[in-house]
Amino acid sequence: MSPSNGPNGLLTRRSLMAGAGGLLATATLPACTSASGPSLLTLHQSKPEAIPHFSELAAEFTSSQDRFAIQHDIATNLSASFVRNSPPDLGCLNYNLEMGRFMQRGALADLSDLPEAAMIREDVAELADWYPTYEGRTSVLPYSVTAASVIYNRRIFEEHGLEVPTTWEEFLTVCETLQSADVTPIYATFLDPWTIAQGLFDYTVGGMIDVRGFYQGMSEIGEDVGPDSEVSFQRTLLEPVQRMLELMPYLNADASNRAYGDGNTAMAQEQAAMYFQGPWAFGEIEKAGADLDLGTFPLPMTEDPADLKVRVNIDLSLWIPEAADEQEGARAFLQFLMRPEVQNPYNDAFLAFGTTKDAPAVTDARISEMQTYYDQGRFYMGASQFIPNSIPAQNYIQSIVGGADAEQVLARMDADWARLAFRE
Amino acid sequence: MSTATPAAPAAPASSAPTTQPARRRRGAVGRDRVNWPVTVLLMVGSLAVLVPLFVTVNMSLKTTEQAVDGNAFSLPDPLTLTSFVEAWNLTNFPRGFAISIFITTIAVIGEIVISALAAYAIVRNWDRRAFRWSFFYLLAAMFIPFPVVALPQIQLTGMLGLDNPLGVAILHIAFALAFNTLLFTAFLRTIPLELEESMRMDGAGTWQVFWRLILPLLGPMCATVGIFAFIASWNDFMMPSLIISDPTLQTVPVLQNMFQTQFSNSYNVAFASYLMAMAPAIIVYLFAQRWVMSGLTQGAIK
Repeated sequence: MSPSNGPNGLLTRRSLMAGAGGLLATATLPACTSASGPSLLTLHQSKPEAIPHFSELAAEFTSSQDRFAIQHDIATNLSASFVRNSPPDLGCLNYNLEMGRFMQRGALADLSDLPEAAMIREDVAELADWYPTYEGRTSVLPYSVTAASVIYNRRIFEEHGLEVPTTWEEFLTVCETLQSADVTPIYATFLDPWTIAQGLFDYTVGGMIDVRGFYQGMSEIGEDVGPDSEVSFQRTLLEPVQRMLELMPYLNADASNRAYGDGNTAMAQEQAAMYFQGPWAFGEIEKAGADLDLGTFPLPMTEDPADLKVRVNIDLSLWIPEAADEQEGARAFLQFLMRPEVQNPYNDAFLAFGTTKDAPAVTDARISEMQTYYDQGRFYMGASQFIPNSIPAQNYIQSIVGGADAEQVLARMDADWARLAFRE
Repeated sequence: MSTATPAAPAAPASSAPTTQPARRRRGAVGRDRVNWPVTVLLMVGSLAVLVPLFVTVNMSLKTTEQAVDGNAFSLPDPLTLTSFVEAWNLTNFPRGFAISIFITTIAVIGEIVISALAAYAIVRNWDRRAFRWSFFYLLAAMFIPFPVVALPQIQLTGMLGLDNPLGVAILHIAFALAFNTLLFTAFLRTIPLELEESMRMDGAGTWQVFWRLILPLLGPMCATVGIFAFIASWNDFMMPSLIISDPTLQTVPVLQNMFQTQFSNSYNVAFASYLMAMAPAIIVYLFAQRWVMSGLTQGAIK
């Protein structure tokens, strides 16, 4: 028994070591193989609907020259890659407060010397500066802008002899008319808090107050934000929020247990006349497959039609991290993406507005009504987009439409804002 | 027995009247009556599993148009397998699947072997202070969840070149070490020292004792640890998403994340993909059911 034991034990140990060695070898192999041939360039792009589109563009760029090959990354955690100091070479993402942090800390390279930076409309380029900036750098090039406003069903409007309203009074009249004809005026989906924040809340706030000025004031006042400060949630936003609550009677009765998907289905089935959503919802409404005649109009919040504005956001922006290994390639690929014949088809396909000075007008009938507002710079970014994630603003807003006292909730948002400012 | 008879009329005796006398004679406890409260509970419990599973299968066979119509329970019409094809292509399923299997295999084997070794060393040297304290040191790690140390782990793995599936597998082993060692030590204390002594009398060394005697005796506990390790490793999202830097080496759960977004729903493709990812776990469960059942209570007693 014992003689056979010895070699056996030894063998097990040896094979174990060999196995471990083999595993290490396989793990390090991929790193070695990428050294030859064109240098590998990572594009981080994770907007799901656009993944096939950008995969095609990446392949097209890779085959158009022989110096760089594009790897299309849709899965890596962006923050982790910055922490690891191995960020993507080019980012093509939604630009928001979270991305702004990378900008603020100087993690993104300056692109102001690129001719493409000068191609972008000034008021659009400035949208990126609504978020924290880094002194003297233009690092974020807006690639496409989505404009959102009230989606309405033209057929239902015509059926009831309604015109697109341009004042708050007219808007309420439209709601009244629809309701008395037993048509749900507005479809809301309270189950998904973000739909309330970006729709009801952002439209009412953005239509009444100067969003940028408000948040500039809020940042300056910081930890002293409260009931007596010059601007505050509880003082500045109370009126818009009360107007938002005036719309509650015109919503579908089951709003509190309907989610985003239900809303899209309901709009596809013409269950309601209006829907406070952005162009991203059109694709989803289309999935439910109906032949609809939909349009958009900015929510009128005052009695002056000249105050009409649409809500915009930077759907995609291009940036290159300071720590990217392949700056030159990233710039070349960025320039490729910014070519009009590459950029315009994207905006066309995804119902977004072009960001360059000579971008063509949108052609889709569902969003073309917003073109004039976009061209004239009559837009604002959503107020809910400037509240850091540490403050559960969406849930607070959800509780307001759910029946909580608006003044108290807004006061709590002020307290949260002040606490956060104190901590930072 | 006689005390049970007065209660019998109240219970639905009609369930099996013909076989009643035979059963009575056997006298097995609770066999002559249906325990309705428990039955109802079990039915609710199994429905809680079966209904979502039905919806998953049902949804995955629908067309996109039907998947968004808001009726989860309507049967697929027309029945289509295109969602599976789409999910397969979108996630590059075979590659993600292979990576997931690679990580899970290393994690399961590693957790069993390393934790068993640690537990064996600790239990057999309990009288030495260094071993006792190392046990407490290992246990202390149970109080540190991964998210707390995520950032340093990302930096460390990046520096060591372990920002790949192998690194994830190693981290899985390390983070499970505390709980697994606890399980193994509890079980090891029940193995009599005499068995080991008799083997040593025959000339076996420590390694031989471990591989040929202790590890086989730890069988049931290995099954428990293995099952926990498999489930935790197969389903893990956070660690691979943070640690793996090469997008081509990403695991299935992370790749599937693309189906869950704020602005779009593709239930049919998502569910098809989830079904494919669930398959190994279900298959493993079907075969390992017996050990899962016995294994789950294994750690509870000691």
